[in-house]
Amino acid sequence: MTNSMNNVEFISNLVENSYKIVKKEVVDQYQVSFVVEKEDVHSLLSFLKTNGWKQLSYLSAIDWIDDNKFELVYIVFNWDKPVYIQIRTLIDRDNPVMNSILPVFPGCKYYEREAHEFFGIKFPGNPDFEKQLILENWDDMPPLRKDFDPRAYSDSKFAKREYTEDFVNLNGQKSKQKERELQKENIIKVRNGGKK
Amino acid sequence: MKEMKLFLGPQHPGMHGNASVHMYVDGDIIKKSFLLPGMLHRGFEKGMERHSWINNISLIPRVCVVEPDINEMAFAMGVEKLLHLEIPERAHYIRMIILELARLSIHLMAYGGLGSPTGLYTLMYHAHADRNTILNIFEKITGHRVYHMYIVPGGVRKDLPQGIEKDIHSFLDDLESRYEEYRDLGINNPTVLARITDTIMLPAEVVWELGVTGIGMRSAVNKAYDLRKVMPYARYDQIEFDVPIAGYSDAKTRVDCKLQEVVQSIGIIRQCLAKMPEGDVKVPIGRGQSMRWTVPSGHVYSAVESSRGEFGYYIVSDGGTHPYRIGVRGASYPQGLLGIEKYLPGTRLDDAALWVDTMGVCSPEIDR
Repeated sequence: MTNSMNNVEFISNLVENSYKIVKKEVVDQYQVSFVVEKEDVHSLLSFLKTNGWKQLSYLSAIDWIDDNKFELVYIVFNWDKPVYIQIRTLIDRDNPVMNSILPVFPGCKYYEREAHEFFGIKFPGNPDFEKQLILENWDDMPPLRKDFDPRAYSDSKFAKREYTEDFVNLNGQKSKQKERELQKENIIKVRNGGKK
Repeated sequence: MKEMKLFLGPQHPGMHGNASVHMYVDGDIIKKSFLLPGMLHRGFEKGMERHSWINNISLIPRVCVVEPDINEMAFAMGVEKLLHLEIPERAHYIRMIILELARLSIHLMAYGGLGSPTGLYTLMYHAHADRNTILNIFEKITGHRVYHMYIVPGGVRKDLPQGIEKDIHSFLDDLESRYEEYRDLGINNPTVLARITDTIMLPAEVVWELGVTGIGMRSAVNKAYDLRKVMPYARYDQIEFDVPIAGYSDAKTRVDCKLQEVVQSIGIIRQCLAKMPEGDVKVPIGRGQSMRWTVPSGHVYSAVESSRGEFGYYIVSDGGTHPYRIGVRGASYPQGLLGIEKYLPGTRLDDAALWVDTMGVCSPEIDR
């Protein structure tokens, strides 16, 4: 464990000699990230697996809506040389397709299904990436995209509850409905970072 | 023979949490099975993007219901990595005490949970009684019993109360004195032993194929693959402890490893209490109003060793007051979803509940 900084350097040299790296970031002595082209992902993952990064820890996506891109993230880990490697790649947001890594890491099956469900990314090669996993009978756009608005969705989906009058006040006190609404507005203002 | 469809869960004593295992059985041999998650989906990953960094502290412990502290730790570690923040020495030790107490509580609960699929409820009541003592200690330290919101980015929320060492020591002594009794109730009991010996094997190849971590992995590959040893976070590198391993993984070995970890956790807490220095427990991560604190942009993955394996948070910041994206890597993803689909078929119907229990499948962290 004492030479773990060498591990980052070791794998960086190994990867940079064989692959074109768009961007490299060293997070700390246990983590490094490579941004690569979409075409290089599969060969790089199998290269790492051959070199001991046998465990797929995480697979997901990020929605960069301003650049009109999705960023796919693969995180692999080696238990003997403890370095987490993030492999990131940008894919088109309008037609998001990425070939499945199922032959390389069989454990990715459900991560890819989840990414399809929450971002709408297609993974040809994975036999049931289109089956629903968590969201039942979902009829809107994939919910983790940045342009999905949960408030608008719940307003359109469910009947609005309106409480025009306060509950019956036995002691004849004044209604506190207005004060509560004011308080609620203030809370929303604070949540939006003080924007009015 | 005709195939028949059966459900294990969500209302079943052998199913922990709100998920359901659908099984097609022929006689009592499972032909096909899959886990149906989604009954507890609360949209946390979307919700975290809509809350500020500090507000999220109240949201993250809810990701895993029975073991909330690992969530706080992974999130706090990730944010500190992005900020390049060094936290006080005392905070590290308090964090370790909390994490190990939480590990004791979940191990006791999981070991007690072994009682329900095997039909031996005495074990469960004993384990829950001890877990209650841990929750009492948590209540004294943090003010909450289950969701503590205690480990925050920058340290811990407040210092330990005076005299809590006495409570913790008396609990640990009590648990240690009854440790053999626990073994006799569960793993040495002939009734339970007949059910758990040589059932649900997990060979090392399957571990690598599925990506199982934690006790399942260590009991199969015979190596100390524990994140606390492999890449020590907090101050685990200054504490002496062993990682229980085994070369043959069946239900009994995994339960045995779990019980040995209880002993190690007791030792870790004692060492932490002895080694803990005096001083501050928290550094502020920003200036001004806490709702407007920002975190420098970057991508970071932080992982801790939970009772079920590697539990990680993938945090993306764009430099704003809110996280841009937070992804949660639940430790029970491989064995819970892919494992049940691929390797549960072929076993007997009554082993399904044991799979869920001894592998450690936590449905809230699958759904999120």
